[in-house]
Amino acid sequence: MTSQIEVDHLSKYYQVHEKEPGLMGSLRSFVKRKYRDVKAVDDISFHIDAGERVGFLGPNGAGKTTTLKVLSGLLYPTRGHATVLGFTPQKRETAYLKQFTLVMGQKQQLLWDLPAIETFLVNQAIYEIPKAQFEATLNELDNLLDLESVMKKQVRKLSLGERMKCELAAALLHRPKVLFLDEPTIGLDVTMQARIREFIGEYNRRYGATVLLTSHYMADVTALCERIIVIDRGHLFYDGNFRALIERVAPYKILRLQFEQPISRLELATFGEVAACDGLTAVLHVPRVQATESATRLLSQMKVDDVTFEEPPVEDIIREVFAGRVEMRD
Amino acid sequence: MIRKYLAFFRACWAISLEYRAEGFVWMLTNLLSIIMMLVWLSLSSAGPVAGFTSGDFVAYYMVGLIVRHMTGAWTSFDLDTSIREGTLSPQLVRPIHPVHWYVAANWSEKATRLGILLPLVALAFVLTPSAHLDVTPVSVGAFLLSLVGAWLVSFLSDYMIGILSFWTSQTAAFNQVMWGLKLVLSGILAPIQMFPPAVQVVLDWLPFRYMLAFSNEIALGQTQGERLLFGLVVQWAWVAFFFLLTRLMWKLGTRSYSAVGA
Repeated sequence: MTSQIEVDHLSKYYQVHEKEPGLMGSLRSFVKRKYRDVKAVDDISFHIDAGERVGFLGPNGAGKTTTLKVLSGLLYPTRGHATVLGFTPQKRETAYLKQFTLVMGQKQQLLWDLPAIETFLVNQAIYEIPKAQFEATLNELDNLLDLESVMKKQVRKLSLGERMKCELAAALLHRPKVLFLDEPTIGLDVTMQARIREFIGEYNRRYGATVLLTSHYMADVTALCERIIVIDRGHLFYDGNFRALIERVAPYKILRLQFEQPISRLELATFGEVAACDGLTAVLHVPRVQATESATRLLSQMKVDDVTFEEPPVEDIIREVFAGRVEMRD
Repeated sequence: MIRKYLAFFRACWAISLEYRAEGFVWMLTNLLSIIMMLVWLSLSSAGPVAGFTSGDFVAYYMVGLIVRHMTGAWTSFDLDTSIREGTLSPQLVRPIHPVHWYVAANWSEKATRLGILLPLVALAFVLTPSAHLDVTPVSVGAFLLSLVGAWLVSFLSDYMIGILSFWTSQTAAFNQVMWGLKLVLSGILAPIQMFPPAVQVVLDWLPFRYMLAFSNEIALGQTQGERLLFGLVVQWAWVAFFFLLTRLMWKLGTRSYSAVGA
């Protein structure tokens, strides 16, 4: 069976012109422009099956958005090719455009001066959504996102979070099979981020839609995606199961301890790797499989005031990936 | 497609009502036509100028107000902004060509303001008994056809300038040049019959006359018969030219579009 999204040896280079600062720089650039190729995406390949939720991770300028734009048909690949639902995106066939959606946290499709419901109606017409289906979908989206109170207010008067809800609703009215979400939670507060995340998960479960999400908020990805693709400077660093990655890069849990009386490093060494110890507090890295056992032993043998388990920070794990210390695929 | 346009109109209409102040600015731009009319009226008070009586000038500029209104185009501004700021992207991923939205916006704006303009123009004709129009079935039919043609030439040439934004950020400069040419060559400052005969021959073949003056001349009964037919053919040839050109440019432009704001 072929995958729903197939990306094979995809590259996208931009030509940017370089300008030195200042007036002379402007003049020089006017007379003779210097161009430089920026390799936004450089030979990446991956396949995604229907219904998967995949997180695209990488710092700014990694090539995440560029990849999504190629898949949406906004950009022509420089080399290699991509297909989505069997279509070549850049041909922008109507049949394809009707089956996916692109949400960009920083670009909006809502009509700025009108209430969001007006954009919904415009989209109903554009996507040729039958009235009954339109009402049913809007109703469901209203249940999930609580739109009733916001969709009749002028878009420019909405808060960022309210606007994002409406953006998502506008993008999903035609019940797309594939969702490309580019930083959908950017600028939102933590509560609203969680709301949007939950909603995306729910939409995926309900309609079996494929979700490809970029974000530089780690929480978005950890909460939503089983699979992650890590890219940086156009290169693919890791593609695979998220949990597996964590277990491989960080096969330990973090044990934070507080003692009643001072304790030495040496005494702790038998329980795990001592990451820090200043007498009364200590941080241990304990192998995952032995975590519970070690903690129990510790509690029975020493006078412990407080103990907490933590997962290693995802940011650290990703840093390991970028440093090239992790195999590309699992 | 009709349903889509109805939905677009609804939204565009609502947007245009949001910007009443802009409507006022638009009224001011019509002042230029009115000032030119007053200038020619004072010059022709002693006797006809190049065959134009005072009544002719009133008729020419009043019809001109309607033609300019019906053919006004500003898509290049919107398109330029959309391309520069990358907001064209959401429009490009929808299953309808973005130009349809711009056409709908263009028409709905005209509808909003025609209601203000028509009574004013009618009043001017009532107050100027010497202003005559050529109201025969042929000339009315030809006028309407030329009006549609004038709209298409204006809209498409402006749309063409807008599409240039895919490659250059100097769209505003192109617009200035276009406006300058239009001001002189389309018949806003003076009817084309007042130009030297050699210039008139050249203007017969350029698109500018077919954005305004041609329709005015038909309404006043100054262009008839063979010359009318010739004009319509040239006008619609320009329509076809701009249509094909903008189609091609759009295709190339979206190809090179790099959706700014990676």
